[in-house]
Amino acid sequence: MKGLVRTALIGLIALGLVASLELPANAAATKVIKLGCAISFTGGKSRSGKLYRDAYDMAVEQVNKKGGVKVGSDTYMFKIVYYDDKSDPTESSRLVEKLITQDKVNFLLGPYSSGITIPDSLVAQRYEIPMIEGGGASGKIFSRGNKYIFGTLPPAGQYFKSTLEMLKTFTPAPKTVAILYSDDKFDLSVAKGTKALAEQMGMKVVLYEKYAEGATDFNSILTKLKAMKADVMLVAGHTEESLNVTQQAKELNVCPKLISMTVGPSEADFRKSLGKDAEYIFGVASWSTQMNFKGYLFKDTQEFVKLFKAKFGYDPDYHNASGIADVAVFKDAIERAGSLNPEKVRDAIAATSLATIYGHVEFNPNGQIKGTSVVLQIQGGKIYQVYPEGTKKPRYPFPCWKER
Amino acid sequence: MLLQIIVNGILKGGLYALMAIGMALIWGVMDIINIAHGSFIMLGAFTTYWCFSLLGIDPFLSLIASMLVLFLLGYLVQKYLINFVIRASAFITLILAFGIEIFINNLALVAWTADVRKVKVSYGAANFSFGSYLTIPTVRLLAFLLVIIISIVLFVILNRTNLGRSIRATSQDLEAARLVGVDVARTYAVTFGIGVAAAGAAGTLWSILFPISPMMGGILTLKSFVVVIIGGLGSMMGPLIGGLTLGVTEALGTNWFGSTYENLISFTILVLVLIIRPRGILGGTD
Repeated sequence: MKGLVRTALIGLIALGLVASLELPANAAATKVIKLGCAISFTGGKSRSGKLYRDAYDMAVEQVNKKGGVKVGSDTYMFKIVYYDDKSDPTESSRLVEKLITQDKVNFLLGPYSSGITIPDSLVAQRYEIPMIEGGGASGKIFSRGNKYIFGTLPPAGQYFKSTLEMLKTFTPAPKTVAILYSDDKFDLSVAKGTKALAEQMGMKVVLYEKYAEGATDFNSILTKLKAMKADVMLVAGHTEESLNVTQQAKELNVCPKLISMTVGPSEADFRKSLGKDAEYIFGVASWSTQMNFKGYLFKDTQEFVKLFKAKFGYDPDYHNASGIADVAVFKDAIERAGSLNPEKVRDAIAATSLATIYGHVEFNPNGQIKGTSVVLQIQGGKIYQVYPEGTKKPRYPFPCWKER
Repeated sequence: MLLQIIVNGILKGGLYALMAIGMALIWGVMDIINIAHGSFIMLGAFTTYWCFSLLGIDPFLSLIASMLVLFLLGYLVQKYLINFVIRASAFITLILAFGIEIFINNLALVAWTADVRKVKVSYGAANFSFGSYLTIPTVRLLAFLLVIIISIVLFVILNRTNLGRSIRATSQDLEAARLVGVDVARTYAVTFGIGVAAAGAAGTLWSILFPISPMMGGILTLKSFVVVIIGGLGSMMGPLIGGLTLGVTEALGTNWFGSTYENLISFTILVLVLIIRPRGILGGTD
């Protein structure tokens, strides 16, 4: 009896081995270009990470549906190999290395957030594999002379430029500005740039304060802000922090005349979590659903918005659009290069001049996209472009929490 | 503004105090530095989260559930794990507690992922103001009052009941306690249970105010540790004094130096207390 069990077990193991050996052979039937992507499925950055995954998935599906990527006389399909970086930069760069050395991916798609993009881009550089990323905008990513990194978010220092210009159009124009920013590469660049711009425009920066990345308690900053009587509160942080700042501002009854946040307001999840407390909060974005560009993978922006909403059940925001552009640039560049050679594709990417639903994509010599941002505002539970020339007028000043 | 900052600090300090009570109790009675304390706080927070999101139980009600669950867990952990090494050197118990921490955190990570969650109660941001000088968030005030109530209950248990007497006796003189018939093993298990239940209560209140995630425990263990050291061991007032000191100093310090320095400020106080009053502000006996 015992012998029988043992034989059966050995048999099972052998079967398992054979089955596992057979799998890759089947998968190799169609020609595939593998795109590697280590991105946040879980952890503090998972909300925004999901936006990129949805966009990458949808773009790849669209490319494959429309006949794949033509390289010379061959046709390839895109396939994304994902890993969860748990919102940890060290983990992420380790996974990118694994994608290159073990999974043998052809090219890389970026993670979310500047802090994670920097170490990941260094791995890409070391192995000389081009990476296109839609989720990191800090100047620090592009100031290292790294030839293998390309980004589709505009420079962080200019993020609030359009917002500051809009402030000038209000009567009376707000005079004092408070800038809160997370201790993170991207937000540091945003804050520095914004402070310089605000001072150039003759506004007074009364509070310029950094908080630890992932901070949960904003009581002391908000108390200070209230005492300084700042007209405008600009927050450069991540979704979780934006949520906490808003909730605690309400807890402490802090209401400046205008609140604007880099990340959060444009995301459907942010509006859902806060409900009516999200009303009138401003945001900035490199893109909005109210724009209309002729597309490369999709007919135009409006068609993309419709298809995206039908597929995922939420309105796309600039993260999603940026992610779509990343995949579009890869397809275009690979086809122009006519080869899968990383070096040739890199040069093709650098020479990109492509119309996408995200707008015209062209890279600066440092690898970052040429572009600017628009001002958004939440009104009636929806997000509208309000400046320059949006579908709605900006609502200013901000009605205090209790007057709603 | 100064008044507002101090009030913010006191309200947060209350929470710190509750976090530290359990740690101080276990430390004082059993001489175990419970490194896993923060993980138990995290479990308390998640108990509340699941009660709220799956069963719709109000967080203030689920306080009882999370204390019960955590008491049971603490009791069992002591009885079936820590009890085996209780006579070993402090170093061994430290390692065991460290192991428990890693185990709990990673189990939680696998079960619930690293996602940050929030207990979204409708009254989350309610507040009331005294003119333009002072705004008090209602939930924080309620949490603070609960901290006081829980401290008083623990105080009564320790000072007025037989169980409390045996806990204190065991802590003061193990041999004598055994001679007069105290069941030491059971007393230890109950003490550990009570300490962990207090951590659970702290977790519940934490989850109402702040977002929670499986890895939140580490920093909370450190904060509790700092509070226990500041307040000193050996009295129920220790954690309360320590918590309030830490809360207010942090609030003032972050106001003057900036929020990034919150943890630096906590540990500076720790070092200062160790230099100036090595036995804590109250200077209790060990």
